[in-house]
Amino acid sequence: MSAAPVIPDYGSPSACVANNSTFCMDWFTAHWSNLFWPALVQHIELTVIAVVAGFVIAFLMAVLAHFQGWFAMPASALSSFLYTVPPLALFQLLVPVTGFSVLTVEIALIAYSLYLLFTTILTGLREVPEDAVRAARGMGLTRRQILFKVELPMSLPSLISGLRVTTVMTIGTVAIAAYVIDSGLGSLILKALQSPFNTQFIGAGALAVILALAADGLLVLAGRLLTPWARSRKAA
Amino acid sequence: MANAAPATGRRPLRRPPARRSSRALAGCLALVSLAALSGCSAVSETTGKPTVVIGAKEFTEQWIIGELYKQALTHAGYNVELKSNIGSTTVIDGALTSGQIDLYPEYTGVILQVLARSRTVPHSAAATFQQAKAYEETRGLTMLPPTPFQNRDAIAVKPAFAKKHGLRTISDLKKAGHVVFAEYPDNMEGALGYRDMVKAYGLHNTEVKTLNIGLQYSALDHGQVEAADVFTTDPQLARGGYTLLDDTKGYYGFQNVAPVVRKGVQEKQGPEFARTLNKVDALLTDQAVREMNRAVDTVRLAPSEVAAKFLKANDIS
Repeated sequence: MSAAPVIPDYGSPSACVANNSTFCMDWFTAHWSNLFWPALVQHIELTVIAVVAGFVIAFLMAVLAHFQGWFAMPASALSSFLYTVPPLALFQLLVPVTGFSVLTVEIALIAYSLYLLFTTILTGLREVPEDAVRAARGMGLTRRQILFKVELPMSLPSLISGLRVTTVMTIGTVAIAAYVIDSGLGSLILKALQSPFNTQFIGAGALAVILALAADGLLVLAGRLLTPWARSRKAA
Repeated sequence: MANAAPATGRRPLRRPPARRSSRALAGCLALVSLAALSGCSAVSETTGKPTVVIGAKEFTEQWIIGELYKQALTHAGYNVELKSNIGSTTVIDGALTSGQIDLYPEYTGVILQVLARSRTVPHSAAATFQQAKAYEETRGLTMLPPTPFQNRDAIAVKPAFAKKHGLRTISDLKKAGHVVFAEYPDNMEGALGYRDMVKAYGLHNTEVKTLNIGLQYSALDHGQVEAADVFTTDPQLARGGYTLLDDTKGYYGFQNVAPVVRKGVQEKQGPEFARTLNKVDALLTDQAVREMNRAVDTVRLAPSEVAAKFLKANDIS
């Protein structure tokens, strides 16, 4: 056996931390760079991957359903079924297959995103006024041109609203993903419950709420920028 | 290995006025999945050896030991990934046997009680380790040497109470007359449970109060209970405000920590790998671990900070 270990001085907590007060700003700022910021970045990464991948899949499904009416029914049934599975149960089901990995989390998050995205994109496409499509056809546009030049731009508001709800929902679900991977704001919340520490879970929880509001605001802004005609119509 | 993003995410749409944002998103996606692939570790690739994945269970002491292993191995030039806070013994054992992790720190007695389901408790720390190792060897796993420290159940009383009744061992509690005893809700029955303990020690005059982990110290302080089941590495014990009674019958068994490693990992990583872990484990005395637990649970440093300070003080990194 080797000699006795050197035990370093770990310091002592501030009065606020020692009393486990509701929120200690001093501790929060001191641990911003090594705890909160990395967790926030991980949270954003997990959310972005899920929403982007979910959007691509839902978009392809919606376009296919729009062109091939028969596909709408099974696609809607499948995505709504996935949407109803409780997140924790889905994580537990996936862990034996894909392990405690980012992949497990992303499969579950993407599965949740499909229903809302598919529904809103397809609804948007179907609600484009028939007259507009007819006019485009009369001008000699091909089916594909009609999709990209008429139907998609006109369904943007519905699509953006679907993205908004999905993004906010995903940010919330990523917090539960901490049961599978030690990552994101959920990990800080989970660990702060282990040996109760208010500042950590209130801090991480508040960051998740702020992140959701910020993402929602950004998408509203993006929607406005992408549909300038909507504003001019309102102004008229 | 997990590829985090399906390749379809690369090109959402070609035709609409090619917007930068979708490109940026796709780029971001690729970057993020790369980061996920590499386990987000910026270790200088020197050895060319495969990444070692360390697991840790779902409480403070394990987060710290996981960080100690990770940082010491990283410093020694290995590629390491830490999956912390995985879950309970059975969950993390499943992750190990299915190859999702390569090693994790486990308590020798727990291996026998929880995984091997043995009915009896060995009578020494060495025998406990040997039996645990022998059991793990039958499952394609092996164990490295254990730590000096143990995190076992123990019975704590206030020093004044011990003095008044002349208590040194658990059986001495008989001298104290009617004793109110604090126990965790999930440790009433079973191999280390309250029921068998009072039977083993012949304590016929006890009354039990179930209290969640962490509440028993203030209950002792306020005289709501006179004795309590505690863990020997609880940071509250570091202050010296409690007396632990000797477990003369070895009822609570032995709980040293040793890395449980999948067979084949050491061969791939070379002999220095086990040496690095052994060097860390040899430093983990009761006092050292108690202080680290206190640094996380009371001072509220992050486990990674605490591990870094400890390794630095002991010239490991």
